[in-house]
Amino acid sequence: MGVIRNEIRRLRFEHGEMTQQELAEKINLTRQTVNAIEQGKYSPSLEAAFRISAVFGKPLESVFHYSKDE
Amino acid sequence: MSFREKSAWISMLSMAGIYGFYFWSVIHGGPHAGRFHFAGLLETIIALVVLQVVLTVTAAIFAPKEAKAPRDERDKLIELRAMRVAYAGLATSVALACFFGAFTPPIVFNTNALLFILVTAEMMRSACQIVQYRRGA
Repeated sequence: MGVIRNEIRRLRFEHGEMTQQELAEKINLTRQTVNAIEQGKYSPSLEAAFRISAVFGKPLESVFHYSKDE
Repeated sequence: MSFREKSAWISMLSMAGIYGFYFWSVIHGGPHAGRFHFAGLLETIIALVVLQVVLTVTAAIFAPKEAKAPRDERDKLIELRAMRVAYAGLATSVALACFFGAFTPPIVFNTNALLFILVTAEMMRSACQIVQYRRGA
């Protein structure tokens, strides 16, 4: 099984120290879900991943990284 | 703790309390002792609904924004996983009840036993949701 990592925490701080709640409201998810995604405990749907990338104005692969067997 | 997790706790604990009293009184000679009584079950269901509504409204007052928000994709996934676990428990229990009910005289097969199976499956569903919310999955 692979692992999906992400740069959401860093990107939030680079975008005016955006809070998890603010990000959650922009992408129609709950704050708890954003927190779970950030911690790598929950892999978002492809649609949610695109919405997150769009908020930061970055391509999907700059926000999410897939690595095998860790 | 999120509003959804609180709802799952409310569901599980209220069922444990209200149905716990119902089954305890069926077995130990309380107000619902003996065979199945429709009125006794009706009282139990009304008590459960009232308790759950009061507790859920109270939880919603403390987190109005979360309570109004629709379930997101993670909430739905958690709900589906919990439903799968509860269904497996329900199907297994009903199969066992049918098996034991085939004996003469029947060992388990009566309305209260089936109600117990249903309540247990519902509590399994809530418990499974709570575990997943705790894990953050």
